[in-house]
Amino acid sequence: MIMLENIHFTYEGIYTALRGVSLQIDSSELVAIMGSNGAGKTTLIKHINGLLRPQKGRVFLDDRNTSHMSVAEIAREVGLVFQNPDHQLFLDTVEKEVLFGLKKLGFSEDEANEKAQATLEKLGIIDLVERSPFSLSGGERKRVALASVLASQPRILALDEPTIGQDALQKRYLAELLMEMNSEGKTVIVVTHDIEFVIEHFPRTIAMADGRIIADGPTGSVLSNQEVLNICSLTSPQMTQAAQALGKLYSDISPRLTQLDELEYAIMQILGSGIQ
Amino acid sequence: MALISFDNFSFKYIGADSLALRKINISIDEGEYVVITGPSGCGKTTLCRAINGLVPQFHRGYIAGHVYVDSMDTRENEVATLSTIAGMVFQQPENQLVTLNVEKEIAFGPENLGVPPEEIRIRVEELIDLFDLTHLRDKHPHEMSGGEQQRVAMASTLAMKPRILVADEPTSNLDPKSAESILKILSSLNKQGMTIVLVEHRLDLVAQDASRIILMNQGSIVADGTPKEVLIMGLCDEIGVGVPKATQIYKRLHLHGIDLLDVPLSGEELAQMVKEVSRR
Amino acid sequence: MSFLEIFQYTRQDSVIHNLDPRAKLVLSIALATVSLLFSAIIPHIIVFLFIFPLIVASKSVRRWTKSMRGLSVLLIFILVFNTLLSSAEYPFSYSLALTFRLVNLMTSFSLFFLTVHPDQLSQALIQMRVRFEFAFAVSMAMRYVPTLGNEAYAIMDAQRARGVELDKGNLLTRIRNIVPIIVPLIIVSIRRALSVAESMESRAFGACENRTYLEKLAFRRRDWAVVILSLFILTLVLYVNLIVGLPDWMLIGLPF
Repeated sequence: MIMLENIHFTYEGIYTALRGVSLQIDSSELVAIMGSNGAGKTTLIKHINGLLRPQKGRVFLDDRNTSHMSVAEIAREVGLVFQNPDHQLFLDTVEKEVLFGLKKLGFSEDEANEKAQATLEKLGIIDLVERSPFSLSGGERKRVALASVLASQPRILALDEPTIGQDALQKRYLAELLMEMNSEGKTVIVVTHDIEFVIEHFPRTIAMADGRIIADGPTGSVLSNQEVLNICSLTSPQMTQAAQALGKLYSDISPRLTQLDELEYAIMQILGSGIQ
Repeated sequence: MALISFDNFSFKYIGADSLALRKINISIDEGEYVVITGPSGCGKTTLCRAINGLVPQFHRGYIAGHVYVDSMDTRENEVATLSTIAGMVFQQPENQLVTLNVEKEIAFGPENLGVPPEEIRIRVEELIDLFDLTHLRDKHPHEMSGGEQQRVAMASTLAMKPRILVADEPTSNLDPKSAESILKILSSLNKQGMTIVLVEHRLDLVAQDASRIILMNQGSIVADGTPKEVLIMGLCDEIGVGVPKATQIYKRLHLHGIDLLDVPLSGEELAQMVKEVSRR
Repeated sequence: MSFLEIFQYTRQDSVIHNLDPRAKLVLSIALATVSLLFSAIIPHIIVFLFIFPLIVASKSVRRWTKSMRGLSVLLIFILVFNTLLSSAEYPFSYSLALTFRLVNLMTSFSLFFLTVHPDQLSQALIQMRVRFEFAFAVSMAMRYVPTLGNEAYAIMDAQRARGVELDKGNLLTRIRNIVPIIVPLIIVSIRRALSVAESMESRAFGACENRTYLEKLAFRRRDWAVVILSLFILTLVLYVNLIVGLPDWMLIGLPF
């Protein structure tokens, strides 16, 4: 359970990134954090794992105040995957890369090897164990970086812009992986611009603007609010656009429909019964 | 003759295990707006670089066949020569801005070509105007957002006065609003006659403006036609292409025996078509 | 690090800023050489009274004072050390002169760096027949410094998030902990360099011998005046110092 209590944060006394942010994320939640550039999303995430400490306010992990914990300690429970895998990779084989984090967090040699194997298999990159990370493709490097964070099985997983540059299949794979993590009891938090990805997979969305949280609730209602979308520089999700267009013509189609299946069903109702 | 023509073109990067491009045969006419899409590693980036000559001149490798751009063979003409016909915009805005301010950046290309300073000045002013960069004139790249940087990169490429603009995933690293504005610029350039070759995953954003979609997979072209023709193919789902959701609904309705009169590419179109069908 | 303030360019509209960078180069070198020629207190004071108005004219007094404040520790250190270790007849007097000399030297060079934009420097180098590729490499390096800095911070964040503790441990551990920062930084920089090269190549970099320039530097009358005056002063000082010898009153120092 993560709790942020009235967090204020200013970079180098000049740029205020967070102005009184409070939120609570319970175990096994799936949360998306959205907002325009500079809204404070990444700053927020970095407070969860202690990379940044608030000037005012407190951060709690399961009722423990994180101000008494070092980043390394928090890393045992919160895994943060950054956008660019190249910011992490530096060892000569994939295996060493995955083992590195495990050893840093204090796992024994045997435990580390076991966990590494399991994670590499889970992510489908077990054949790449002996390869140098630098020789891999972009997508493969992303998976290695992800593996090295997942290997220690942190209870909370946070990802910063994981879908950038990914094709549809890769996004589908990522979504499945995150859902699997979630069903195993992990809390999954994603910071992203990708509204389609959020609307398909995340039940809760936190929208930020200008260092504050402007909306926090079920994805369907947060992301169908035009004002929220405008402030966060987001375009309406495809299905919402479709629902709104259909809603103008057919009164019983709610403009709040967000999923493909819902729209399909609604249209079939219309065409099936010949309603005008 | 077509403006761009691939004649049985194959390419393998040095040290690679497999061919990046296999016997590509396509031609693109002036004024087309071609979107190239496909899963990661399918060869779209290599295809782009083959148009302005970076492949094979900058990226060495094993080559077969030819690519002709405005009747010039890319194997025999330097990238510098081809750059005045085919300009290229890349994925990372930050890596395309090499100078300390916008004016110098736009002037960079023409300066390299030896264009007279008076002419360069005219081009710089025109492009600053066209791309709405006046307020950014003296800014350091570091002081600009990704979207602004990408606009400057496009302006700098257009300063070479190319007839073709090749854009390799120019919106991947941008927020949705900036992405939209870049795509709007591409669309308006196309309406003014510029040939556009765009690599993009988010087809819902470009399907309505594009005149043609080319689908690639594992180095080959597996589909080539108008957006409405290509996006309803089952192949799209197999290889993982970002088909617009409205089009996906069309396909699903088709499976239930319901046929909309035309293929919708957006929510609006879908709504219109549902109305049309329900009238009958 | 605040003593580096006087070497940082700021956009200003001043008499000195508007001079050709090549003229300023000559001026700075002349003034620096003049500073180096003297070892007595009074000549340095005179030189300072000449240089300081130029700092005022370039609207950079505040920066200068900030720098000097940052430098004060070093200056006092030099003063004390030299006084204690000097074999001159009047050690303190000599050390004071040396300290003044350092101030004058730094102020002379700061005149150049405070008022010359990196682009102007690179254009000046080009027009002084330095090869374009080298001059451009200099300005590109400056352009990417903030980017590289950000990249380094991002890498530190990513590694710390994995459990790397950068601020703990003895010297050996800390040195070893640089590896997970340096390796990604180098790799990322190489990838970036390739990407930048592609973009430059696509814009015909290196295409022709006779590259043109949007803005060329041109010497105006005032620039010639500055150059001539600087050379004149330098020659005069050299002459007086080496041939004629300084008058006695200039060599008066403190008796300790």
